[in-house]
Amino acid sequence: MRKLYTIVIIALSLTSCEKVLFEDDLESTNPRDNFEYLWNECNEKYAYFELKNIDWELVKSEYSAKIYDGMTQDSLFNVLGAMLTELRDDHTNLISNFNISTFGVNYLGQDNFDWRIIEDHYLSQDYYISGPFRHNFLDNKEIGYIRFPSFPGTVDATNLNFVLNRYKDTKGLILDLRENGGGAVSDIFDILNRFVEQKTLVNYSRIKTGTGHNDFSDAKPVYVSPYNGIRYKNKVIVLVDRGTYSAGSFFSLSTKALPNMILMGDTTGGGLGLPNGGQLPNGWTYRFSITQALTLDKKPDYENGVPPDIQVLFDWSDLTKDEILERAITELQ
Amino acid sequence: MIKKNKIINLLLFFVSLTSISQTETPTLSKKELRKNTPAYIGISAGLGPSNFRDFATSPLFYKGTSKYLSLSYLKANSKRESEIGLSYSFGQFHNKFNNHSEFSTVKSVSLFYSRLYQIRKLSSQKLNIKAGGLLSTSGNFRVNEALLNNQIGFELIPTLFGSVKLEKDVSRKKEKNKKFLFIKYKLKPRTKNLAFRLNVGLINSSFRNGYAYSGQSSLLNDPVLFDDYQFKIFSGYRVNSALDYTISLKNKNAIQFSYLWDAYKTGGDLDKFEMANHTLKFTLLFNTNNK
Repeated sequence: MRKLYTIVIIALSLTSCEKVLFEDDLESTNPRDNFEYLWNECNEKYAYFELKNIDWELVKSEYSAKIYDGMTQDSLFNVLGAMLTELRDDHTNLISNFNISTFGVNYLGQDNFDWRIIEDHYLSQDYYISGPFRHNFLDNKEIGYIRFPSFPGTVDATNLNFVLNRYKDTKGLILDLRENGGGAVSDIFDILNRFVEQKTLVNYSRIKTGTGHNDFSDAKPVYVSPYNGIRYKNKVIVLVDRGTYSAGSFFSLSTKALPNMILMGDTTGGGLGLPNGGQLPNGWTYRFSITQALTLDKKPDYENGVPPDIQVLFDWSDLTKDEILERAITELQ
Repeated sequence: MIKKNKIINLLLFFVSLTSISQTETPTLSKKELRKNTPAYIGISAGLGPSNFRDFATSPLFYKGTSKYLSLSYLKANSKRESEIGLSYSFGQFHNKFNNHSEFSTVKSVSLFYSRLYQIRKLSSQKLNIKAGGLLSTSGNFRVNEALLNNQIGFELIPTLFGSVKLEKDVSRKKEKNKKFLFIKYKLKPRTKNLAFRLNVGLINSSFRNGYAYSGQSSLLNDPVLFDDYQFKIFSGYRVNSALDYTISLKNKNAIQFSYLWDAYKTGGDLDKFEMANHTLKFTLLFNTNNK
């Protein structure tokens, strides 16, 4: 009988062993614990310290001085959120159930887009909506205009076939990506492969592989291959501004390698790093960029914004005209 | 002639004795032994508390209740046993802290194969001791939408364990008369067995996300599964145990009540993953060879 009890006792006592085997529970609302955790995660994994010339140690000393025991959750959020803002990156956010920190890259330039002006003065009210695309003819059916406000991940062959087939006889297309904040990366390639006639190297990419600020994988090439179906071969003008971000900037970066595409408007917002996601010891979540998109000469500079081939800004003194769209029409005529 | 017949009869008698002796001695061949080993198909269901922590995305534990299902094929006698099987568990895990609540769904699949052999020197009629090994591979598929681009987690934990099992026959040999309050009842003789098994990971390994957790294949226009994953061997640890109470039925089937505990932690220089599962399990063991 003693052996029987021994077996049962050994079995049950082992169940508490995991507490010994695992590391300590790190749940904490202590402001300093959370500050240190977030600072360190960024320090080891954020991708753009060198390009943006950010002295992260200096940021630590500046912001740790603002941390004190007993500070409110709101105060802590403001300090941590402001620290992340130093990264000047809208792929960097602190997220709690009472606030979300943002950088606001679109405010680095003027506003360059008003959909109502385009509706009122360029498109008739019966424009088409094909999935995520709003589109119609401009300039006596010589030009096709396609508004693409985000990359929703729902771009499919049916939408694109209809749109490109409708404008197949036009002189050129205007693809309006202004204030397109990004979204699904897959949409970038689903659209771009309709505008290439051969496999084309469009950019490079590399990812963080170590704790050092410059520890990255080798630069991997990014190719776009022609779609086996309806494609558009004439000139395409892509309209961008500071609100064109993330997937919008990736798309803009790719146009630099495609001779039939012209980037027009203002410099994009950047956002060429893939953001991760994580959680702090107090339950808040965060994200920041962990990859770099590189130009064909393998430079990460366009993280700060992809410059247009033709710079044109909106003139807000005349609300009957979209100067950027006007310039694109002129370019295609 | 008569003398000759007597000799032949005597020889025949001895020959017949020898043949009787041969049939009565249980010197079965290994093949026959294997054939006579009871074999079962085990169908199990269970549930129990589990928790995990993936340091790559969060320093917080996620806790929940896992539902457990398994199917196995078991051959066992007092000298040796082998089992091969597949288990599936699933559940929703939460972290609720500081007025923030996030949840992660977890689906896990395990494949296992084990062999155990009796250690005669340590075994007695009261306690049978077996030792051997267990090869197990567990895969977890996790989704936590709060973690944005890191919301999907997958890890494969292949482990070769060293195992020891203690078996105690707790059968009721005689009928017993019992009374509960004013109700009298009889407990009939029944074969029962209590066993405790401990498995300690000897070769621990993991197949898991790389340094940045998310891969970049989608950015390369070449999405691949397990992007930037790394295989680590001889790193981490894993321990599990099982306490089984088995009741044999008259029809040679059996039922089994078990408490399982499994804990593991990945190793290496990347962020660690820790998980522990506690499962109360009920198994129907269907005898397949009537032995």
